Amino acid sequence: MGQKKEDNGEAIASSMLELSKLKVPVISIVIGEGSSGGALALGVGNRVLMLENAIYSILSPEGYASILWKDSSRTKEAAEKMKLTANDLYELKVIDKIIKEPQGDEEESFLKVAKSLKKEIQKIIEEMKDLSVEQIVEDRYQKFRNMGEYKILS
Amino acid sequence: MILGTEEKIMIVDKIKKREPTAKRMENQVDIQVGKWVKCSKCKEILYKETVRANHSICPNCGAYFRMHINKRLESIIDEGTYEKFDFNIDTTNPLELEDYPKKIKGLREKTGIQEAVSCGIGKIHGEEVVICVMDSGFLVGSMGIVVGEKITYAMEKAIELKLPIIVFCVSGGARMQEGIISLMQMAKTTAAISKLNEAGLLYISVLTDPTYGGVTASFASIADIVLAEPGAMIGFAGQRVIEQTIGEKLPEGFQTAEFLLEHGFIDKIVERKDLKDTLYQLIQYHRD
Repeated sequence: MGQKKEDNGEAIASSMLELSKLKVPVISIVIGEGSSGGALALGVGNRVLMLENAIYSILSPEGYASILWKDSSRTKEAAEKMKLTANDLYELKVIDKIIKEPQGDEEESFLKVAKSLKKEIQKIIEEMKDLSVEQIVEDRYQKFRNMGEYKILS
Repeated sequence: MILGTEEKIMIVDKIKKREPTAKRMENQVDIQVGKWVKCSKCKEILYKETVRANHSICPNCGAYFRMHINKRLESIIDEGTYEKFDFNIDTTNPLELEDYPKKIKGLREKTGIQEAVSCGIGKIHGEEVVICVMDSGFLVGSMGIVVGEKITYAMEKAIELKLPIIVFCVSGGARMQEGIISLMQMAKTTAAISKLNEAGLLYISVLTDPTYGGVTASFASIADIVLAEPGAMIGFAGQRVIEQTIGEKLPEGFQTAEFLLEHGFIDKIVERKDLKDTLYQLIQYHRD
């Protein structure tokens, strides 16, 4: 079977299932454009971090406008509605922490980001190191279990 | 205007010809437009009742019609045994879209169902199961907060009651109107499956036409046993999108249940009339 001709839905589902079962802490970090099932396949973490200027969404804004409004030229409007920035996602409780990306010299900025990421990863490992395997798995389960507030329908 | 004799005769003829047609129409007033349905495959106009009595399959060409939740439950669950979970919830409209709540309300009135899935407990030839049935009539069966929460709730109920769980899938994928929160429902339902696995409970998914997107990429694909109806279209991305992305033509029959069976993604294709008996048999095997 050709690699690309194989549909990848099952691969995404299996990846999420395996991540759900892992007995060690999982940390996922959104570093650029995280979109759709491909991103989520690696996103089932006990903690989900995100760089300040990264985006994370159900679909690209182009695809979103095309599907929802049948008009792919409304990309900008879609990007504004979709709540795909780190700040939006923090408010929606989809991510746990925003990693600042200081302005300025690219290399210097990169090193600063790497440094704060390292610090954050160490902190999470420290927080979770005394948890039992069951607690680690349950911690991750509850995180995703609580995604999406709902109202009771009268 | 004065008409000649010949012209008068022509008009009278026309009226005469029209008369029998008008009479016939009068005799058939009981046949209303809403009682007929056109087969999307062979284009034959069919009497709805005939289609219903034939498991919602076209008696002319054998194409499968999509099934309403109630009709599906009726065909799978023993009469009078279905008890819907008392868990009626509504979306919180996370993207704050203006028209979305109105649209949901309108669909509830139009379809007579509350959301794109109904979950509860019922019996299959006396065997108690948790069953979830999706409906394509409600925003193409898309999964937002309500669908994700209900499926997860059903899986947790199955664990609590130690029952097998069966999910009938039909969906366009994650619901765009709820954005990233819809995407997260994929992780939520999948995590619930990890708990089902741990509890050693049987989970069967039945893929019906069409099953796509975030539903294929979560609970539809990773059941212990994945069944499908003949000819169902099943995939993650749509064919046009894939062709445009990879820049080549897709093979014949790509994304049909038959193609997926051949490539190992589906365990068995089961005809609609045999689904109830097959599910019953699988539950029996699993218990033994």
